[in-house]
Amino acid sequence: MVLETFRQALQNVWSNKLRTFLTMLGIIIGVMAVIVIVGLGNGMTRSMRDSFSAMGTNTLSIQIWGYGSRTATVDDLYDLVKKNPKLLSSISPQLDFSDNTPKVGTTTYRYSEMYGVDENYIEMKGYTLAKGRNIQYMDIADNKQICVIGDYINRTAYGGNAVGQTIKLGPYKFRIVGVLKAKISNPDQQEGSDDDSVYLPYTTAMRLSNESSPDSYSAIMVDEGQANEAKAAVEQELYDIFKSDNAYYVYSASEWLEEMNKMINMVIVILTGIASISLLVGGIGIMNIMLVSVTERTREIGIRKAMGAKEKTILAQFVTEAATTSALGGTLGIVLGYIVSAIANQVLPMFTDGMDITVSPSFNSIAAAFGISVFIGVLFGYLPAKRAARLNPIDALRYD
Amino acid sequence: MSALIEFDQVCKYYQMGDTLVKAADHITMKIEKGEFVAIVGQSGSGKSTCMNIIGCLDVPTYGTYRLNGRDVGKMNRDELADVRNEMLGFIFQQYNLLPRLNLMENVEVPLIYANISRAERHKLAKDVLEKVGLGDKLKNLPNQLSGGQQQRVSIARALVRNPAVILADEPTGALDSHTGREVIGMLQQLHREGHTVVLITHDNSIAVQAERIIRLEDGQVVYDGDAHAPEAVVQPTLSGEAAQEEAK
Repeated sequence: MVLETFRQALQNVWSNKLRTFLTMLGIIIGVMAVIVIVGLGNGMTRSMRDSFSAMGTNTLSIQIWGYGSRTATVDDLYDLVKKNPKLLSSISPQLDFSDNTPKVGTTTYRYSEMYGVDENYIEMKGYTLAKGRNIQYMDIADNKQICVIGDYINRTAYGGNAVGQTIKLGPYKFRIVGVLKAKISNPDQQEGSDDDSVYLPYTTAMRLSNESSPDSYSAIMVDEGQANEAKAAVEQELYDIFKSDNAYYVYSASEWLEEMNKMINMVIVILTGIASISLLVGGIGIMNIMLVSVTERTREIGIRKAMGAKEKTILAQFVTEAATTSALGGTLGIVLGYIVSAIANQVLPMFTDGMDITVSPSFNSIAAAFGISVFIGVLFGYLPAKRAARLNPIDALRYD
Repeated sequence: MSALIEFDQVCKYYQMGDTLVKAADHITMKIEKGEFVAIVGQSGSGKSTCMNIIGCLDVPTYGTYRLNGRDVGKMNRDELADVRNEMLGFIFQQYNLLPRLNLMENVEVPLIYANISRAERHKLAKDVLEKVGLGDKLKNLPNQLSGGQQQRVSIARALVRNPAVILADEPTGALDSHTGREVIGMLQQLHREGHTVVLITHDNSIAVQAERIIRLEDGQVVYDGDAHAPEAVVQPTLSGEAAQEEAK
């Protein structure tokens, strides 16, 4: 009986191809829009997550600008890590020295990043030495003008043999004691990346910039899922030192990622809401056409009732028909959504300026789109179907 | 043993604006199993109301209607639908076939509502279409057939559930006299085979083809008896008030 109802519905939908198609259009467009928008949201979230994890989602950045005469020493910060072994695994000063652009011969490296760091920093950030040695405790104690450089400058300026050479950072001459292995395998993408960097002892950086204590640190968390707890712990310790929360700023990339995801999700929800209006309009279109269909088929309903069809049978017939129409529309919308997503993936890179945003429809959004379109069919098909089921068979048989 | 169809003081009243229309006014009658009865009357006589009640499409306002001993007035809509499906076969003036379905599918409609399996449906529909002489047109659509053929399909559809009563509402109304006679011939044949046939018509020449005539006027029975008796076709009003009117 269920199968029979479904077969009848398909037959009726099929015998009114043009009308069915036009009726489905609202659903098709709505489902397509929802799929593309949710897909775009997925792509944006993924792209955002990738660029944040490149920054290190397990990293806490700490800025200290002091408060009155109170300062925090490097040892204060090292102690902070020792006191919170469950949240933080290591910390290093990370002084920005980037004002002093590297110069090798006549070539300047304007995109390079330069940091004054301690002897643990290289390991802590997951770099490995390719040649030479790391920054050592004695370099820090003696404020030595030595540095470790990334693969990019080593390769482009020194042909891979930088160890023992000198490099000018702004007006200062530094001896290169070590070079790092490349993190990015494609040499064309190294400029301005982590591989385009110079690390020097933080004490040297402090001396050359006339600073009495490091104003910037980078700490590694044990578990990036506990970013908020780690951040709170660091803030508490710093508050205890400065007795003011205007003296420092703690920043976690994962926290920002979370915020960013929230924002993207909100935008997606709003856009999906707007796209859903099309689904609603499509649903009303289905209701309208089903009402017309019920009127047109009044006589058929009368005949079927005379032959022994019960009200619920007629109801099921018309609801199934509406649901079939909208499910068919939903299916076409899904197909169209995929096609539009594929096209968008070809076209988008032209406008996003190298940012890697893809439209990737998720199974969930497809399942939801299909489910919602069937639901809309049932919802908006119910009223016309109820009207059909309630028809008085005598009047219906007499209807012309 | 009660009769197959039993009307006991059946009334059907409608409110139309301010006036109460008595479409059926205390009709009492019995139709036994195996009879061939014509219910005759002018338009407005109540014969359509009568047929709707017999056909379980409508229930009496007052009085009781028993079909095979069961009080139809006490049934809910679902039960009425079941009774229509099991007990009644309808033949309509306008054939009332479903235009998008082929002959097989049309005849199968009552079987679908009886939850009969697909294979069984096909077999029953085919048998009954062969019986009415349309075995070679099973896949045709109704509009590819002549009026007489369409009416035969509707007879086949009425027969397919082997109902207790075949109810024919002006079955010849849309047909020329030749095919009309053929259809009446089929009804007579069904009667001979033991089916109970109730024919509703306004046409005396059709009505006399039945065995028994029940004549209705203004919602009341004015004649009930042998179809071949001379009084059966006399219009009683002509001898009464209407005749006096005419005399003036």
